[in-house]
Amino acid sequence: MELGIFDVREWQTMVNLSTGRKVEYDSPMVRLVKKVMAQHPYPGDFEMMGNQWVTDLALELVRNYDPGFVFLSYSQPYFAIRFNPMAPEKWQALVDNALTEAQRFIEESGFIPIIVGSGDMIPVEGYMDVSGLDGLAVCSPWSAHYEGVFHPSERDLEYVKSLSGLQRLVYREEFIRELGGKPSDKDRVPDWVLVAREGFTFKGMQSSLRPLARIPAHNQFIPVYSKLGPIKTITDVSPLIEENLKTHKVALIMVEGIGVKDFTLPFTPVVNGFSWYTYEPGESQFLALTTGQHQFFNYPPGLQYWPDDNENKPYPFSGYFNHLDENALGFRYNGRSIAVGNRSMLMHATSGADIALECFARNLYNHGTMAAILREKEFKEVSRSLL
Amino acid sequence: MRCNYCEWRCELSGSKYGICKMYHEQDGEIQERFPYQWSTYTVSHIESFPFYHAYPGSKSLAIGTVGCNFDCQYCSNAFIAKGEPDTLLEHLFYLTPEKVVKLALQTGCHNIVFNVNEPTVSIPSLLELSRAARQEGLAMGCLTNGYTTDEATELLASAFSFFNISLKSISSDFYRKYTRAPNVEPILRNIKRLAANSHVEVVTPVVPNVNDHELLEIARFLSSANPDMVWHVFRLLPEYKMKELRYPSIEALIPVLEEARQLLPYTYFHNFVGSDWVNTECTECGTVVIERLSLGCGGDRLISFDCQDNSCPECGHRIPMLGGKIEWNQEVV
Repeated sequence: MELGIFDVREWQTMVNLSTGRKVEYDSPMVRLVKKVMAQHPYPGDFEMMGNQWVTDLALELVRNYDPGFVFLSYSQPYFAIRFNPMAPEKWQALVDNALTEAQRFIEESGFIPIIVGSGDMIPVEGYMDVSGLDGLAVCSPWSAHYEGVFHPSERDLEYVKSLSGLQRLVYREEFIRELGGKPSDKDRVPDWVLVAREGFTFKGMQSSLRPLARIPAHNQFIPVYSKLGPIKTITDVSPLIEENLKTHKVALIMVEGIGVKDFTLPFTPVVNGFSWYTYEPGESQFLALTTGQHQFFNYPPGLQYWPDDNENKPYPFSGYFNHLDENALGFRYNGRSIAVGNRSMLMHATSGADIALECFARNLYNHGTMAAILREKEFKEVSRSLL
Repeated sequence: MRCNYCEWRCELSGSKYGICKMYHEQDGEIQERFPYQWSTYTVSHIESFPFYHAYPGSKSLAIGTVGCNFDCQYCSNAFIAKGEPDTLLEHLFYLTPEKVVKLALQTGCHNIVFNVNEPTVSIPSLLELSRAARQEGLAMGCLTNGYTTDEATELLASAFSFFNISLKSISSDFYRKYTRAPNVEPILRNIKRLAANSHVEVVTPVVPNVNDHELLEIARFLSSANPDMVWHVFRLLPEYKMKELRYPSIEALIPVLEEARQLLPYTYFHNFVGSDWVNTECTECGTVVIERLSLGCGGDRLISFDCQDNSCPECGHRIPMLGGKIEWNQEVV
């Protein structure tokens, strides 16, 4: 059974992750995870201490669970700069802090790292309001570049073509053909995918309620620090790690909000997409990294998640995820694995790790922490810092 | 000229826009400054607002505008409720009432719920929206702080058929200190008034060491208004000016809430993920008739509904409910 454990400060509970129903269960792994959670309350998405929180939790699990594969995400810089105007010095301090924490993990754990920046963030130049279309315009959660339009009219075509911030309009068939989809993908792809010019974003259903300060650039390349071998494109990361896990302990570390302009470690610029499509920070980029496969159709632009969001939706605590991708590294690796990060459900839904420890924050509200235990593996209970 | 929408009764003239900054005086009338301007529209579970005893299982179009007539020190939506409205215009949607209703229908929503900020600051637009929604058979609900004048309360009652009223305290001292509103009395009056003719649920956020000692008194008041009143006790997540406050202790509150349930059987305790206090039990035989999941502010949701015709399957006892169960993807008729 896949378990979900929640810590909301001074109170914990446990559920069957796939049904959401409360369960009682005890094991060495559960005891370990509960203790780690109780001792490390989440500081909040905007707080710089959130980076330290990631490292501290990851090191606790490394000391006590001894994994071979670690997936970390330091996402605080992304949250902070997306919604808060800030001076360059302050931004630099956030970048330095996140990268310093990533390096602290590496130094103290001895893992061989691949460190990935999700891409540069740039100021918002303008908004395109698509709320008045005859068709239904839907923004994927947190997407800035893409908008899906369902059942558009002729009048809508005239309107969107007049938008100065529009880079291109991609018809459903074109989207599927150009990005290598199957005919069955048409059920998930909107009639139109609208692509914003760099710096522009959409206003429509599910676009951000909070005013935006910065949005992702069209990052054709993202920075990757690695000594494991050559990486040309984002989908090269996963197979390279899988190969090296045969002989090494490897950490895949995502540092969000940071691109080639700000990445201060030596890096290779790596292709961040396919054809005209570039990944934004989010589930598709995470899954491309962890599965080694492009992710254009599981969570396509403008995805209408709500028709499936009924009483029987699996993984009710996993947001719009209704399955865990079994191609993720944690599923493919037979050894012990962990994921830790302040990117909420993306940690367990995209890593496939045995244990995922993440913040339980939704829309930037801090509700505490969540752990997903996807499988139990034997480990030696040790008397180190916690036990 | 004095505004008559809320109990502040602000003097509006020229560039005086009152506490909420959403109304002005023009041609001898109080008018909205930003009619039909909405801050969001999105699909939600009705349980997530929360409404636990209204149209269970239904899909709601959640909407809001900007502005508020309170200044709650722990506000979770201060960026939209307390921002200067005219600086937020770039982020708003201009949508006619008919267009909002069309969006609800396009997304398969069964009702419309105003939940982001205080509806009192946008009453004329909401009255127009309610007329358009009624024509399509869509019910409307709202979350409100209840600080309306008698006249505005009647307007809200004409626009909305279900309410979630925030009763933050039973004490005017609390309201003065933590919301800047001078008096709790209008809120108590409006809860009684609205509960007499509309479906009302009440939410009380617990602020540790500030209002936690009042819970039984609040329960007694609500019980006097309606012994079947649905009461949501919220574990406060402090934001805005009280961000550093510690979170309320769940274990410490549970005995108090056990006692409160003797007064108000439909007392729930949530706003924290995984709460055990979100199910509905038959008050006669104790059978669990409705199960929900608490996802914290990620929104609560229904997971089972076992009371056909709103009656307990074991003993037939009636469960108070506005409307019946609605399947999530049930077509809007």
